This record gives sequence, C-alpha cells and structure tokens, in this order.
Amino acid sequence: MAPVSLKKLVKRYGALEVVHGIDLEVKDREFIALVGPSGCGKSTTLRMIAGLEDVSGGTIEIGDNVVNDLPPRARNISMVFQSYALYPHMTVGENMGFSLKIAGRPVEEIKEKVADAAAILDLSHLLERRPSQLSGGQRQRVAMGRAIVRRPDVFLFDEPLSNLDAKLRTQVRTEIKKLHARMQATMIYVTHDQVEAMTLSDRIVIMRDGHIEQIGTPEEVFNRPLTKFVAGFIGSPPMNMDDVTVDDGKLVFATGATLPIPPKFRQSLTTGQKVTFGLRPDDFFPTGHGLNSGDAEAVAQLELPVSITEPLGNETLVFVGFNGRDWVSRMLNPRPLPSGQNIKMSFDLSQAHLFDLTTGNSLVA
Amino acid sequence: MKLSRLSAPVLLLFPAFLVLAAVVVVPLALSFYSSFTPFRLTKPESLYVFIGLRNYITVLSSWDFWVAFGRTVLFLTIALNAEMLLGLGLALLVSKAVRGQRLLRTLMMFPMMFSPVLVGFQFKFLFNDNIGLINNGLQSLGLTDQAIPWLIDGNLALFSITVAEVWSSTSVFAILILAGLLAMPRDPIEAAHVDGCTPLQTFRFVTWPYLMPFAFIAMTIRSLDVARAYDIVKIMTDGGPAKRTELLWTLVGRTAYSDARMGMANAMAYFAIVLSILFTVYFFRKLAAARQQIGAEW
Ligand SMILES: Nc1ncnc2c1ncn2[C@@H]1O[C@H](COP(=O)(O)OP(=O)(O)OP(=O)(O)O)[C@@H](O)[C@H]1O
Ligand SMILES: [Mg+2]
Repeated sequence: MAPVSLKKLVKRYGALEVVHGIDLEVKDREFIALVGPSGCGKSTTLRMIAGLEDVSGGTIEIGDNVVNDLPPRARNISMVFQSYALYPHMTVGENMGFSLKIAGRPVEEIKEKVADAAAILDLSHLLERRPSQLSGGQRQRVAMGRAIVRRPDVFLFDEPLSNLDAKLRTQVRTEIKKLHARMQATMIYVTHDQVEAMTLSDRIVIMRDGHIEQIGTPEEVFNRPLTKFVAGFIGSPPMNMDDVTVDDGKLVFATGATLPIPPKFRQSLTTGQKVTFGLRPDDFFPTGHGLNSGDAEAVAQLELPVSITEPLGNETLVFVGFNGRDWVSRMLNPRPLPSGQNIKMSFDLSQAHLFDLTTGNSLVA
Repeated sequence: MKLSRLSAPVLLLFPAFLVLAAVVVVPLALSFYSSFTPFRLTKPESLYVFIGLRNYITVLSSWDFWVAFGRTVLFLTIALNAEMLLGLGLALLVSKAVRGQRLLRTLMMFPMMFSPVLVGFQFKFLFNDNIGLINNGLQSLGLTDQAIPWLIDGNLALFSITVAEVWSSTSVFAILILAGLLAMPRDPIEAAHVDGCTPLQTFRFVTWPYLMPFAFIAMTIRSLDVARAYDIVKIMTDGGPAKRTELLWTLVGRTAYSDARMGMANAMAYFAIVLSILFTVYFFRKLAAARQQIGAEW
C-alpha cells in the first residue's frame, strides 16, 4: 500500500521530448485514471512508473522511496498489459503463480493464492489450459489474475479492456471496480475511453501532448473543465462549442445567430471580446425534454431545424442545425421527430462554459 | 502414338523422374544392394556374389568400427553443444546491438559461405605446428616456447577438428536463434521483469522456452548434414595420426577407396545413415514438443 508521486517527470527519446515535466500525487489506495488522445504519453508515463522505461528527468517516488534507478522487480508493482503479455508456454495456473514462484514461496502457498485469485476471476476451471486455448476475455482475466496474486503496492493498467467487446468490457469494468475495493491498493489506469475513466476512478488525469491539462474528480472534470481541450474530451457525446463575439449583452455567432450572455458571466465580459462558447448536449434539449436546472431565467429558446436523430431507447440524440452545423442535444422522454421539422430548443445557459479564444482556458465566473 | 495416351502431367513430369531415377534412386538401390555383396572396385565380378548380412556382421563386430563410431558420437555431441551455446551467445549479443545490426548479421553468416574444403585448409594452416598462426601467436605472447603439435597429437588433433567444425557451423545456430529472438514478442519479457525476475531468470523462464524450437530446428538441420564434416577431417588430418581422428565418414571413405572394399563401405554407410536418421527423428520430436509448449502457430 503506497502513494505514488511524480515530480517534474520528463521522458525523452533522443532529442524528442514526449513527456514534459509532469507532476502528479497519487494518494495511497487511490484509483487514478490517465486519459488523453492517442500518442499523448500515457503509456510512456505508466511504463516509467513500472520501471520499463528510463526516466530522462524528474523523480518517481513509490511509498517513501525514489525508485528512478530501481529495476521493475524492486518496485513491488503489478502491471496488466494491453496485449495481456501472458507467458505462452505456461498454463493459466503457472502464469498466475509465476511471480510467487520467482519470489521463492512454498508450493502450497502458491497453490492457495492462485486458487483464491482464480475464484475471484472465475478462472478455476481453466487453470490447466494454455493461453493459446483461451478467448480474449479469458486471457484478459488471467492477466488480471497474475497481477492480483502477488498483492503489490501499486497496480498499473495499460488499456486492459481495449481488446474486449462492448459487453465484456462493461462486465470486466465492474470487476475491476470490485477488485479495487477488495485489494485496497493504489491503482493507476491508462485508457483513452473516458467512460471507463469516469466510472472507475477517484480522480482523472487528462493528458495532452505530454502535459497534464487537468486533474480532478470525475464530477470536477465534467462540470468544471479548466480548458477547452478537457471540455471537448470529457463527456459523450462531446460538448457543443463555437466561437462567439460579445456584443452589447449578446453572444454573436459567426453566422449571426445570437444568444444572451449567460447570467454568471455578465459582469466579466466586455463588448468586442472573442470567446469560445460551450454547451453540453445535456443542457441543450428540445423544450420540455431536458433536465430542469432550476434557473428558468437562464434558459434561452430558439426554433431550430432537426437534421437527424439517433434513438438510444431511453433517450434520443437529436442533431439540430445551429450556426451552420449540427449541434447535438440529448432528448429525455423521447418522441419521434421527423427530419427537417423546426422544433423549439432550450439552451440552459446556467450550465454554459466560456473559454478564452487564444489560451483555451476556462473563464470561470 | 503410344506416348500421347499418357496424360499431360505425367508426360511433363517424366523427364524429371527420369533424371531423379538416374542420379538418386539407381545409385541408392545399387549401393544398398552392394552392401550385401563382397564387392571390390578391383574385382567387378564380385558385385554378383550375394553374401547376405556378412558385411554387416563384420562391420558390427569390428573394433575399429566401434571406436570410430564412438568417436563420431562424442565429436557430434561436443560440436553440436558448443555450436548451440556459442550460437546462442552470438545471437544474444547481436540482438542487443543498437547500431550496425545488419552488418553484424551478414558477418555472422560468413563461415557458411566457405566451402568445407577451404575451411579444412584454413584450419590446417592455422594449426600447423611449425608455421601456423596459432603457435606463432602463442609464442609471440610468451605463453609457451614450444611448438604445440596441434594436428599431430591424437587428442589435440580431435580438438582442432572440433574447433574447425564449430567455427564453420556455429552460424547456423546463431542465425536461427537470432531469428527467434527477433520474432519474439517484447511483452512477456517486460511482464517477467515486473513479476520480479532478474535478467537471468527472465532468460531462463521466458526467453529460453521461446527460443527452444529455433534451437531444435538448427539441431535438426545439423543432424541432417553431420556427414559434411568429412571434408574438414579429410583435409586436416585424414583420420590420422594413427587413426586417432578416424570418424565414421573417413573410415567409410578409406574402406571404399583406399581398400577398395565398396560392399563393406556401403554397409558401414547404411549403418551411419540409420544413426543420422535417429538423431533427426529425436530432434524433430523435441521440436514438435517445444513448439506445442509455446503455443506456436507455425
Ligand atoms: N521508442 C520510442 N521512440 C520514439 N518515440 C516514441 C517511442 N515510444 C513512444 N514514442 C512517442 O511517444 C509519444 C507517447 O507515446 P505513448 O505510447 O505514451 O502514447 P499513448 O498516450 O500511450 O498513446 P495510445 O493511446 O495510442 O496508447 C508518442 O508520440 C510516440 O510516438
Ligand atoms: Mg498507450
């Protein structure tokens, strides 16, 4: 059980710097998700924590020790690889017990611990098989089993679910959450699936191009994104965003469409200022089919044409033409809407976000 | 007109079969038959005297034959193991090279490009007790002031031949094992590091099981062409001194051509082939088992 702390962590491949001095304090027993687009340095960061990549600058601490120069075996960590990385020549049982065997534990103890882990992961009937005789989901669980058998201080996951189908992914996601509650260990989980990050983690770290954009609880990064990038990355479907110019109490879009300035920003904006306006699909809905935010005054209404609809059963995503393109809205208690029809849309401006046009930073009212 | 009644494929393959029969099947059958006759090159009519298994009985009850046989097995065991260890070491080193790996790989194949006869001459010169490079080198370094009789002392001569053989064939192992190393996925090795393995343990428990099939492929190939070392031995010592380096192949060659006892020589050769086949089957079995173990899909 140990906290993990990254201080000014840098990774360079030759002259190419891919991680630019990131700082991160992971508390003991915390579940942290590292998210970000492909190539932003998530795996590299995780592999540095594991000791599989050299550190080019800064320090990594696990517990109270600086581990920069320790080999992976001295760090008491477990890692679940995206490709599972099972040992092909060992049975499932041998795969899971391998770390204990290397540590020189007695055979009885290994058997017992492997059996325990197998029971948790529903692998008991597969212990004699080889990895090549398993399905993808089963291999994934073996990889997980191998990690939990040794009870490490820190678990590292590198996109463990990305090779699974949607249903299995949801199922294993729940397993991981249960596992975290049971193991009482620090977990760092890399994913580019923000739903995984939101559902699993205590805090989310959003990375971009080797920098950390924001660290916060799922609720924080969703409701109070610090940058335009985070606002666009977190949330599905993504936030609707367009550039606007402030003009005499109104926000004017490029095509001339206008919305009133959201009440909470009224004091801080000046005429002529250019900002990016953002509104989540949840706060933009066919009138009467949204969440009541309680601030009726802050809701603006416009007649807009429906372009297409995507029914999801309990709700429907409605794409409506606004400012020259389609904005997504989430329609609760859906009813059929023919394409091309004009409908009354509500903009819940109490939930609107504004970002500085040049820096992309949130203008927090 | 009769020919045209045969179907086209048969017709087209016919010349090939004919050539094969002339150069492979007929000599094979003839030599097998002659191993049951007292055939001597100097007495052609002896080819028609059938003496059953007498040649085989003579061979198998000959002390000289069994000494050569035992020496051959010893020679092969030492050579194959040394080649495998050296090949493994070379492959591991080359796979670690960050720059110039292609060049190293090409260099590694050099010995395979030499004809064994050349290798024989080359090592004969190197090991020459008078003018050889090795004695010269040892003396210049002050390690010895005597001329070591590499090819003249019986034990040293076998050693020298082994060195030449190992030099010329280690690359077979090195290349096949390197192929295995390059094809090997990185992930299980990293997983082993995380699971607590030292580099040595990683090799022992993860890398080596993966490489084993490749080593066995090399073993199988080598066990098929063990007879190749005939040229090297023939050139370097010709079985001497005093038959101390007589291997099965030189014995067969001497019996056939110097003593002109072709029937007897063929009996020995067929016995040696059985030995070679047994080696091959053994390694093939091991290969299949090792492949299955790593769940290989090839
Ligand atoms: N061995 C290497 N040499 C040079 N550049 C590398 C090397 N490994 C990774 N990179 C670069 O480092 C950057 C970060 O890679 P990393 O694998 O950490 O991305 P990631 O966030 O895990 O992406 P993904 O979601 O696709 O897995 C990438 O731009 C990649 O091209
Ligand atoms: Mg990655």
